[in-house]
Amino acid sequence: MHEGTGPAALARLLRRHAGAQGRAQSSAPALARLASLARRHWLAVICVVIPGLLAGVYFAFVASDVYISESRFVVREPDKPAATGLGLILKGIGFSNSGDELMATREYILSRDALAALDRKGGFERAYRRPGVAWTDRFDPLGLSGTFEDLYDYYAGTVSVERDSTSGVAVLRVRAFTGADAARFNRRLLAMAERRVNAMNARGRSDLVRQGIAEVEVAKRRSLAAAQALGAYRDQRRVADPQQQGMVTLQLVSKLQDELVRSRTMLAQVRGLAPDNPQIPVLEQRVAMIAREIDREIASVAGSPASLAATSVEYQRLVLESEFADKQLAAAMTSLEQSRSEAARQQAYVETIAQPNLPDSPLEPRRLRGIVTVIVLGLVAWGIVHMVLAGLMEHRE
Amino acid sequence: MSRMRERLAPVRLAWRVQRRVLGALLLREILTRYGRHNIGFAWLFIEPMVFTLGVTALWSVIHAGEGSSLPIVAFALTGYSTVLMWRNMPSRCITAIEPNQTLLYHRHVKVLDFYVARIALEAIGATVSFVLLALFFAYIGWLEPPENTLKVIWAWIMLFWFGAGLALLVGALAYRNEIVDRIWHPLAYLTFPLSGAAFLVDALPPRARDLLLWVPMVNAVEYLREGYFGSVIRAHHDMAYMAVFNAGLLLVALAQVRKVARRVIPT
Repeated sequence: MHEGTGPAALARLLRRHAGAQGRAQSSAPALARLASLARRHWLAVICVVIPGLLAGVYFAFVASDVYISESRFVVREPDKPAATGLGLILKGIGFSNSGDELMATREYILSRDALAALDRKGGFERAYRRPGVAWTDRFDPLGLSGTFEDLYDYYAGTVSVERDSTSGVAVLRVRAFTGADAARFNRRLLAMAERRVNAMNARGRSDLVRQGIAEVEVAKRRSLAAAQALGAYRDQRRVADPQQQGMVTLQLVSKLQDELVRSRTMLAQVRGLAPDNPQIPVLEQRVAMIAREIDREIASVAGSPASLAATSVEYQRLVLESEFADKQLAAAMTSLEQSRSEAARQQAYVETIAQPNLPDSPLEPRRLRGIVTVIVLGLVAWGIVHMVLAGLMEHRE
Repeated sequence: MSRMRERLAPVRLAWRVQRRVLGALLLREILTRYGRHNIGFAWLFIEPMVFTLGVTALWSVIHAGEGSSLPIVAFALTGYSTVLMWRNMPSRCITAIEPNQTLLYHRHVKVLDFYVARIALEAIGATVSFVLLALFFAYIGWLEPPENTLKVIWAWIMLFWFGAGLALLVGALAYRNEIVDRIWHPLAYLTFPLSGAAFLVDALPPRARDLLLWVPMVNAVEYLREGYFGSVIRAHHDMAYMAVFNAGLLLVALAQVRKVARRVIPT
């Protein structure tokens, strides 16, 4: 139907050139055949031949060798309680109850922080700007896009962290244009990830424990204050223990009452036997004294604001407070111990399973595969376009 | 330049004819399918809208109080609209030839045109329904507008490509073999749970995730969701794989249609 402009013209040019040189006469008919073939199958030329040739040239002469360094690691972490039922289905069995730390590690490795740390002295950027790296593959080929953000975009294409879904092991791959670069960056990234996880651990641990220590401090102060308040009150009121003191006083009172009864009976007896006995005034005075003493003692126990009963209320309150503070202190101590052991147990750490390798031959680009892929896809495209065009051309008048 | 134009003249001519044929077929399809009474052709997108609304309401009731961070309306709309996009096309294409067969008396009407007209109609219906519902839900505040509209559009185009390829293949095969027609309907129902409409790939165990991403629609649905509310979910997709799959599907489908077109004669 039409002739392909590109290859046909090229063939003509070649033919003319060959004619001018005055040699390879036999190749002219072959070239002519080729040209007419190209003209008849111009669509195939556009869809298959040209892309195939371009891919061939690119993979054979342009694309730089890419060395890939690989390391494998796991992030060990304490067991978390597994989610149940719907939560399990919704949240995903893959990530929620294991691999949190791993995900955090991955996010860190692929972050700007990690890149900044890796490229502190510009080593990372230099490694991907090496002379001899094809302009299609290198960083900032035209020198127009050398910002850190551009580098970060580029970085995303050089580093990958993938989690093997069956074993749960993470694979860190770094692509570079020399084996040494790839291995070096991989090692450094691994070390950085480890440091990061350790820092996160230390944070978590110190947070827990610091809180515990603070609580213990508060409880200590409380208990001390309560004890001091109790002591001060004792001093001020001149009581040791109002309850016991009250008991003692009451015992004293009952003894005095016995004495009073005895003295009264004695007085009554003496009065009955000898009314003029000179003992009588003495006894009377004694009875009165005892009665007064009893009144005084009873008043000291209860009734007056300064009595033991009145002080006992305040005293009890202070005692309770002090006991409570002591209990709190004990509890805080226990929880501090617990959080200390918890923190020791809850350590996540990066466990390297396979050290970064130093690749001694490039794994990429897969040249043959690339060329074959381009050609196969070209054939598919050709088939589709060809049939669509044929369907369209059926509508011609 | 002028030579190029000269060369392209027959193509332009053919294209003009094909456009006229397709336009006429589209009108005919709309009229035969929806008629002129009541709201007429508006059924084209009202029907899928009612479907989607029903499913959205249903899922909202079922999933009420599950308390996931994902709005169920968004989930249902993106999920079910995508199903409508690719599932009705093959069903319509299975019955594309027979009612139109007499039209083949006209020189310019070809079998492929029947398929293309029906596919286009389904695509228009599903697209208008999706857009209107998205606008409506956004208007009443149940749904944020897409975070990345281009991604949504791209996913939609990929779904259309897949649906068109599948429809052409199923339609052509069904014409040659009745069994395909019988098998397609149960198959369409069975593929619903696999299509990614009713779940997020992220919510599956990793093994199942890897297996499911071999199903082409899942990739597009996930991509569409990423475009719609990507900040809320973690989407998994491989659009390059889907493009390759679609290309292969379309190639096989077109070949089959050509085979059928040669056999069909006007009755």
